[in-house]
Amino acid sequence: MHVVVCVKQIPDPAEPGKLEGDLTLDRSGKLILDESDSYGVEMALQLVDKAGGGEVTLVSMAPNNENSGLRTALAMGAAKAILISDPLLSGAGALDTAKVLAAAIKSAEPDLVLTATESSDGYTGTVPEQIAALLGLPSITFAKEVHIDGQSVNVRRQTEDGYDEVTCSLPAVVSVTAGVVEPRYPSFKGIMAAKSKPVEEQTVVGLGLDPARVGVAGAGQEIVAVEDAPVREAGEIIVDDGEAFTNIVSFLDGLKLI
Amino acid sequence: MRFSWSQDQQAFSDAVRELLAKEGTPLVVRAAWDAPPGHLDRGVWDSLDAMGVLAVLVPEAAGGLGLDETFLVPILEEAGRVALPHPIVETAMVAAPLLGAGIGMIASDLGGPLVPCAADADRILLHQGDTLAVTDGDAVELTAATTVDGARRAATLSTPRHPEVLTDDPAVIALALDRGALGTAAMLVGLGQAMLDLTVDYVSQRQQFGVPIGSFQAVKHHLTNAALALEFARPAVARAAWSVAQSTPTRARDVSMAKAMASDAAELVGRQALQCHGAIGYTVEADLHLYLKRTWALARAWGDTAHHTDRVTHALEADLPSA
Repeated sequence: MHVVVCVKQIPDPAEPGKLEGDLTLDRSGKLILDESDSYGVEMALQLVDKAGGGEVTLVSMAPNNENSGLRTALAMGAAKAILISDPLLSGAGALDTAKVLAAAIKSAEPDLVLTATESSDGYTGTVPEQIAALLGLPSITFAKEVHIDGQSVNVRRQTEDGYDEVTCSLPAVVSVTAGVVEPRYPSFKGIMAAKSKPVEEQTVVGLGLDPARVGVAGAGQEIVAVEDAPVREAGEIIVDDGEAFTNIVSFLDGLKLI
Repeated sequence: MRFSWSQDQQAFSDAVRELLAKEGTPLVVRAAWDAPPGHLDRGVWDSLDAMGVLAVLVPEAAGGLGLDETFLVPILEEAGRVALPHPIVETAMVAAPLLGAGIGMIASDLGGPLVPCAADADRILLHQGDTLAVTDGDAVELTAATTVDGARRAATLSTPRHPEVLTDDPAVIALALDRGALGTAAMLVGLGQAMLDLTVDYVSQRQQFGVPIGSFQAVKHHLTNAALALEFARPAVARAAWSVAQSTPTRARDVSMAKAMASDAAELVGRQALQCHGAIGYTVEADLHLYLKRTWALARAWGDTAHHTDRVTHALEADLPSA
């Protein structure tokens, strides 16, 4: 069982984010493993354990050969990583990212590809499906449970009012929702072992991609302005005349929480 | 010469910090105040054990990581930062090098007659006359003690029945005592840092006369003095860790210097933190007291400042050329 997990290394969300001159996110500092990807890594490790053998390979795209986030996932138990780091990729959009990741995944020849539903810094939420389309693989989104059964994968897929059970053939691309498994803490032995695990460094040309079709050159989009998120508006104040609970009930009903 | 932790040491303490941020919350400390004897929750303890914290000083041949005190000290600083109620110094720093890996939770009277977590531990490491011994918890009678820090869960012990003697080598006993003082010094630096961070956060938010009270010079001076004391203590603790790891001839002096400076620094930070918090700092509802009371307790455990400054004085006098 060979599982590839796409992981993103992002600027620490605890630090105030900075923008570059071209309005892209400044990624020059230390990057950490996106927490939403730790669920995919944990699920992959559990699936390999259940299968009784195999390994987990990480695929990541990051500037400056940054691998500190990858080391965290390797310390959790992944066997190796492919890191695509290339100045050509500066300013890459979601589709460019998908093209690069898909090329790297193809070279790894996995049985299953796991991703998060979306990254914590970009939030486009489109890369997993684009990867699947580029590779010509079936795609299942919002997985809360994943089971491997021979040559097929069975997924409980989170929906607004419950879950769907979906089965498809392997290989497939499955995006995993956050919080569905408890990511393990890396052990000290894992941290030591991670230092000697192989990280294969790749470039755009090395993956056989056309530099004119990825990065800023091929993004097909431009960031023209960045604005602060609107300040949260004050809440509605209701004076309780004994019937205020009906307002609360209808508010919660509007959110489909009851 | 390099005066900072190595990448590995930093990676270990980062991993522990992340774990404790999730599992070592103030709620865990508060629960330790309230849980009956023998019922200390072991969730965070088991996670630290699984990570490998308790096996840092255990030789590789005995199933440990075979590392030294310079790896464990930054980890214990993290444990201090969350006022971890479990006996991590007694277990990871003092007992593990003597007893090996997989020893569970160990309490000890080496740090003083008030034994933390005595009723919760799997075994108790005892300083019996000129020996070190271990005993099961049920071979001694425990009397719960009322102390300033309820989360320490301290008890006094009766004379144990048939303890298993580990050693009567004075050098081994002296090393165990130095390790305990060193580990406690690291915890105190972490506690001091936690109280300073909490207070800087508080004075940045609390407003008076239309501005945050942290903008007043008197408040800044208090917290600057606290930060300075802590920054002077931290390298002394790191130096002591190195001296213990390398068994230098100055080991005892360096450990005592570290414990005295860390105790004084953490107590100073605590005083300034309480002052800057104002009345709310005195309430049980504010988290400050969890760290403050642990600081008071640990400053007096494993030898107080007077004891350790005496040791430093004697070590320095012994180095003077005779008249």
